[in-house]
Amino acid sequence: MLLYVARCAAQLAVALVGIVTVAFFLMRAIPGDPAIYMLGDYATTESLATLRARLGLDLPVWQQYGMFLASAARGDLGASVVTGQSALAEIWSAVPPSAELAVAGMSIAIAFGVPLGVIAAVRQGTYVDVAVMALALGGISFPVFWLGLVAILVLSHDLGLFPALGATSEPGLWPAIHHLALPALVLGLSVAAYIARLTRSAMLEVLGQDHIRVARAMGVPERRIVWRLALRNASIPILAVIGVTFAWSLGNAILVEAVFSRPGLGSTILKAILARDYQLVQAGVLVLAAAVVLLNTLLDLVYGAIDPRLRKA
Amino acid sequence: MGERTTMPDVGRRGIMAGATGIALGAFGSPVLAQGTQMLRIRFGSDISQLDPAKIFGIENQSVATHVYSGLVKYDQATNAIVPDIATGHEVSSDGTVWTFRLRPGVTWHKNFGAFTSDDVKFSFDRILDPATGSAYRGQLAGLKEVQAPDPMTVRFVLEAPNSGFLHKLCAFNQGWIVSRRAVTEIGERYSMNPIGTGPFVFERWTTGNEVRMSANAAYFGGAPQVSELMFRVVRDETAAAIALENRELDIFFALQSPDVIDRLRRANGVTLLDRPANNTVNLVLNTTAGPLRDVRVRRAIMHAMNRKALIDGFFRGTKTEATSVLTPTFQEYTDEGVPRYAYDPDRARALLREAGVSNFRFEITTPALNPYDRFPVPLANDLQQVGIQATVRVLERAAYGQARSSGNVQSCITAVVGPPDPDSALVTLFHTRSFPPGLNTSRYDRADDLLAEAARATDMAQRKATYGRLLKQTMEDVPVLPLFAEQLFVAHGARVQGFVQNSLFTVNASPVSLRGA
Repeated sequence: MLLYVARCAAQLAVALVGIVTVAFFLMRAIPGDPAIYMLGDYATTESLATLRARLGLDLPVWQQYGMFLASAARGDLGASVVTGQSALAEIWSAVPPSAELAVAGMSIAIAFGVPLGVIAAVRQGTYVDVAVMALALGGISFPVFWLGLVAILVLSHDLGLFPALGATSEPGLWPAIHHLALPALVLGLSVAAYIARLTRSAMLEVLGQDHIRVARAMGVPERRIVWRLALRNASIPILAVIGVTFAWSLGNAILVEAVFSRPGLGSTILKAILARDYQLVQAGVLVLAAAVVLLNTLLDLVYGAIDPRLRKA
Repeated sequence: MGERTTMPDVGRRGIMAGATGIALGAFGSPVLAQGTQMLRIRFGSDISQLDPAKIFGIENQSVATHVYSGLVKYDQATNAIVPDIATGHEVSSDGTVWTFRLRPGVTWHKNFGAFTSDDVKFSFDRILDPATGSAYRGQLAGLKEVQAPDPMTVRFVLEAPNSGFLHKLCAFNQGWIVSRRAVTEIGERYSMNPIGTGPFVFERWTTGNEVRMSANAAYFGGAPQVSELMFRVVRDETAAAIALENRELDIFFALQSPDVIDRLRRANGVTLLDRPANNTVNLVLNTTAGPLRDVRVRRAIMHAMNRKALIDGFFRGTKTEATSVLTPTFQEYTDEGVPRYAYDPDRARALLREAGVSNFRFEITTPALNPYDRFPVPLANDLQQVGIQATVRVLERAAYGQARSSGNVQSCITAVVGPPDPDSALVTLFHTRSFPPGLNTSRYDRADDLLAEAARATDMAQRKATYGRLLKQTMEDVPVLPLFAEQLFVAHGARVQGFVQNSLFTVNASPVSLRGA
């Protein structure tokens, strides 16, 4: 087990260094310059040179990279070139709203996606199956920003059920949940569609296997066969897709954040990319990558708990 | 009107709440529920920088407007220059020494001590110091020295008389005064922890979400009537409009989309205001590039574009016609003797023939920002009608900035947003010292003398006449084609009283009070 954890940690470190390196050079490869962004209308050759020197942008890229790695190793990811604040602190302040949205969205996605997928599989070929799959196809096909705007128009404007703004700084649990509900629902339903489709195919495969037929022959109640025996066996691919869709939902969260005016990692990184705020992008990519890698490591551990065959591997 | 709009809303929500079994307390205005006087203003994007030496962008400037004071300021309604933290000033007979008397008893926010002339000297010296890297250093060209002979007097010594100097000291960008002690003590973190003497104190910033400010009870202009300000980032205009109608927001700042403007014009309980801005949106032609060197080609482009159709069609009347790069909001504005260019494709074809230009490839570079990424398309179409092979190159904002700064573009879409200071706008567009990376992408070099002459002018009539000559000349030479004049739209809810819209492209909540709060 200790070896396993050590291996995971090593993998994590390699992945993070790799991702941050890619982000570092990618940001510097695209056209644009934070100094021009900041000086805008009044840029002169001298003022640009002064600012570039102050930001260390006049150094060769390799030297900048070396300095970045050296300070990153000490846990210092630098300061945002635009705001002058610590990049990691700025990114860190965007983590809680993103985590809230991701957890709430994924909970809704699992709560809807898994049961619908199971039902569709059990009733394969019936109208129920067709209806669930049509719904899932819709969920995948409708762009999340469109779904978000429709939700705001109908549920917030016409029915007055939820606020149009998906975040609040009012104190208290209820206002927070009330503002979070709509964005979480929209994000959750789009992910639920994926999970439902995958659950259905995983269940169909398991339901056709010998041990299910044996269980049926032995007279085990159908309800127990479906929800205990089959679902447990189908849960490995389902968990895998949850891991993948989590990363995907972080991408979708940028759109949800934009439509519902929520702060978060997605919109912070997008803003940083547009301003060529190199340090902020690097810190953001690092935090996002760490979240995805950690979640997948966690899922690996859960697989082992669910399926004893995977424990030795 | 208020009654009619309030009742159905509450009723509808009450019914919904009852039907779904959700507590009523969750609905309606949270501000009313809490009994505080918070004014909630929509921002289209996040703030990033509140240091006057480096500030840019309308959101940053809107926050700074509440934090800082200047020696003088623009009256929000009339754009006249009126006293702010200075009580008055004298100019020496040769026009080179400007002496300001300061208001006594003013204190800095958050216990940073008393405001004195030393802070004023520090603020301007800081802009002038090349090490600061201020974008506004060029604005103070000709300022030789700032002196603080006593704590309540500050003196500016100029190299030559400058009738427009007061504009440079107005409470905007470089004109905002900072505290020596605060800037020194707070250091690197100052840009997001600003200290001023203005009506509101900066409290906190939540990345990507909101800015909170509290009323400065000790404000020298009188304590504000609302106790708290919240600037809330709501990127999507439709969502912001619904939030305004839902009374989740009080003021909708930087309203642009014609659809949303229409929607709010018809909405109950919403007041829609509009006002001409201080800027036009322009097509800047590189006068050193190929056929564009010929003034006849530049005039042909002007005649070929149906700017009226753009305003009435594309923008549905939410912009106005521009006669030059100055708008009527400038006190120095004039259109006397300034040539006009009617939409006349035949004339454009004739001019191109005269210039011996055919099948000319012409590229318009524009940033990927709504509506800049779309409105050049109908203009390019107009140009194709007269035989110019026009294309539109849309570049993501930072890439656009780099392309423009390099100077290697045939033409680009540019707007100079700022105060009603003709020197600032015209130097930025036409002076040789604004050659790329500055905004004089046309590399126009015939305006320097007139700009210097306008600055030397001793009275308003002379100033206006000189700027008039400059406008006439630049519209004859057309290095910069004004496409339309920007119109600013702001909407507010029924609770907002006393709001004054300015032409600075900022929102100023200082005089606002809230009804029923």
